[in-house]
Amino acid sequence: MPKSIEISHLTKKFTFPVKNEQVGWVKNLFAPEKREVVAVSDISFSVAAGERVAFIGPNGAGKSTTIKMLTGILFPTSGTMNVLGFDPTKDRKKLAYQIGTVFGQRSQLLPNLPLTDSLEFFGVMYDLTNAQIKKRVAELTKLFSLGEFIDQPVRKLSLGQRMRAEVAASLIHKPKLILLDEPTIGLDVVAKKALRDLLLTINKEEKTTIFLTSHDVGDIESLCERTIIINRGTVIKDLPTADLAKSFAFEKYIDLIPTDKFASFVELPAGLRYLSKEPNKLTIAVDVNKLSTKEAIKTMLDLYDIEDIDVYNADMETVIRYIYERTAARPDNN
Amino acid sequence: MMNDLSFALYAIKKNIQASAELRTSFLTIVIGMMINNVAFILLWIFFIKAVGEIGGWTPADIVGLNGFAALTYGLAFSTFYGIRKMPDYAATGAFDRFMLSPKNLLVRVSTSAFSTSAVGDVLFGALCLTIFSFLIHANAIQLAILLVLAFAACLVFISTIIIIYSIGFLFTDGNNVSEGIFQLFFTPAMFDGGAYQGGMRLIFTFIIPSLVIGTLPVEAIKDTSFAKAALVVALSIIWFLLSVLIFNRSVKKYESSNFMTFGN
Repeated sequence: MPKSIEISHLTKKFTFPVKNEQVGWVKNLFAPEKREVVAVSDISFSVAAGERVAFIGPNGAGKSTTIKMLTGILFPTSGTMNVLGFDPTKDRKKLAYQIGTVFGQRSQLLPNLPLTDSLEFFGVMYDLTNAQIKKRVAELTKLFSLGEFIDQPVRKLSLGQRMRAEVAASLIHKPKLILLDEPTIGLDVVAKKALRDLLLTINKEEKTTIFLTSHDVGDIESLCERTIIINRGTVIKDLPTADLAKSFAFEKYIDLIPTDKFASFVELPAGLRYLSKEPNKLTIAVDVNKLSTKEAIKTMLDLYDIEDIDVYNADMETVIRYIYERTAARPDNN
Repeated sequence: MMNDLSFALYAIKKNIQASAELRTSFLTIVIGMMINNVAFILLWIFFIKAVGEIGGWTPADIVGLNGFAALTYGLAFSTFYGIRKMPDYAATGAFDRFMLSPKNLLVRVSTSAFSTSAVGDVLFGALCLTIFSFLIHANAIQLAILLVLAFAACLVFISTIIIIYSIGFLFTDGNNVSEGIFQLFFTPAMFDGGAYQGGMRLIFTFIIPSLVIGTLPVEAIKDTSFAKAALVVALSIIWFLLSVLIFNRSVKKYESSNFMTFGN
C-alpha cells in the first residue's frame, strides 16, 4: 500500500537563552547561556494512504512539533521525512497543494467576512477555477451542513460551526492527507460527534488519510484505527486502537451493589483495592497478575452481602493515562 | 510569479471587503486620518513661513514631501499591513498558516492584513501630490517623473519595512525593536529635505533610505533631474532585492509557538 507519511529518525531540538543568576546582567544580556530542549527525539513511523491515525501524547510530548515538521513549518534538526512523495523541508509549497491542515486552537478563516468568502479565498489560494470552487463549495456545504450559517460572518459562528467550517475549508482542494491538531477542543459532545462522523465520511468517500492529535479519547476510539503514542519526544507505542485497551488490560474493575447497605469496609487481600467506597456501591480494582477475576469475585462475595455485580475492563482514558504516567515516571524512556 | 501577483490582488480585494464590512469605523478612521495629516502639513507650512526657506525648500516642496510620505506609508500599510504584523505573527505562532499556503510566503503574509487608517493616508498623499504638481506648474516630463518615482518610492518603503519587520523572526521582543527602527527610518523622511546636507544626506540615502521615499523624488521632480530620478529607481530595485533576501533568511529562524490566535 502506498505511504502518505514516512519519517525516519526525526529529531527536533530547540535552544533558548536562560538567565544565569551567577553572572551579571550584562553577560546575561549580551552573552546568555543557551539551553537545549529535545522536543522530538529520533522518531520513525509510516502512515499508509487512507489510514486514520491518532498521534497522541500528554502536553509537551512533541505532537504539534511533529505535525509542524510534517507540514514544512519547522525544519527538523536531523532525520528524514517523506510526505506524499515530497520532502517538506524542500517542497513546502508543492506539498501544501496536497495536504489540508486544521489547528483547533487557531483559525484560518476570514473573521469579518461570510463563510462563503473564506471558502472562496481558500479555493483561489489553491488555484481552483471559479467553476471548481462553486462545485466544491456546494459539495462541502451539503456534506458539512454549512447551509444554515454559510452567509454569516465567521466571527459570529458558534465554536462547533466554526470547526466544521475550518475542516471544510481545509478540504476545499481535495487534499490527499489531512492533519488535524486537536480538532475537537472546546466542542460539546454533539458537535464532537458530528465532526468525527464527517471526518469518517471524507476518509471513506474521498480516501483522505487522516492524521490527528487529540486529548479526547472519543476522537481516538471512534475515528482512528491506529494509535501512535508519543511522550517526551519519543514514540512509545504504535498499535491498532482496538488493541490499546487489550494490551494494557492488567486491571479489571468490579462494581458491587449491596443487598442492603455497606456498613463497614474491611481490608482487602493483595491484588484487590478499593476505588470508591459508598454505602450503596463499591468499586474494586483487580490486579489480574495477582488475582483472577473469578477469585476476586469469590473473595468479595465472601466478604460482603452482594445483590448485583458488574465486571468491566479499564476504559480507554484510564489506559492512556496509565501509559502517560508510566513513561513520565521513567527518568529516560529511550 | 504572475499567479502569486494575481493572488495578491485577490487577497487585497478581500481585505478591503472585510474592512468595508465595518462601514462606520472604516469611514471614521479614513476621514480622521486625513484631518490629522492636514493639521500636520499646515504646521510645517506655518513653520517655513515663520523661519524662511530651509536649504531652498519651499512650502510647495513640503506639500510634495508629505504627499510622497503619506502615499508610500498609506499604500504600504493599507495593502501590505501584514508586513507590520510579522513580529506578532512570529511571536504567537500565527505565522504557521502562511507557511501552510501554497503561495509565495512574502506575498501571502504581506497581504494578510489591511489597515483602514492607512487608506486616509493614501487619499491624502494623492491629494498632496496633485496640489504639489499645480503649485510647481509641473509639465508633462515632471508629471511622468512623479508617477515613476511614486511607484519607486512605494517600492523602497515596502522593501524597507520588510527588512525592519523581519527582525520579528530573530528576537522574542521583535515587535518593539521593529517599531523603534521603523521610527528611525520614517521620522527623518518627514523633515524638510533642505536640512539634510553632506554626510547626513549620504547616511539617510544609502544606509537608512529615509530620503529616498520623499526628499529625493521631490527634488528630482522640481529640478527635472533625471540623475536623481535614476538614483531613486536604482535604489528601489536594490532595496527590494535585499528585502526579499533578508526575509527569506529570517523566516528560516521561525520556530512557531502555540498561542491561541484567530486568523485572517
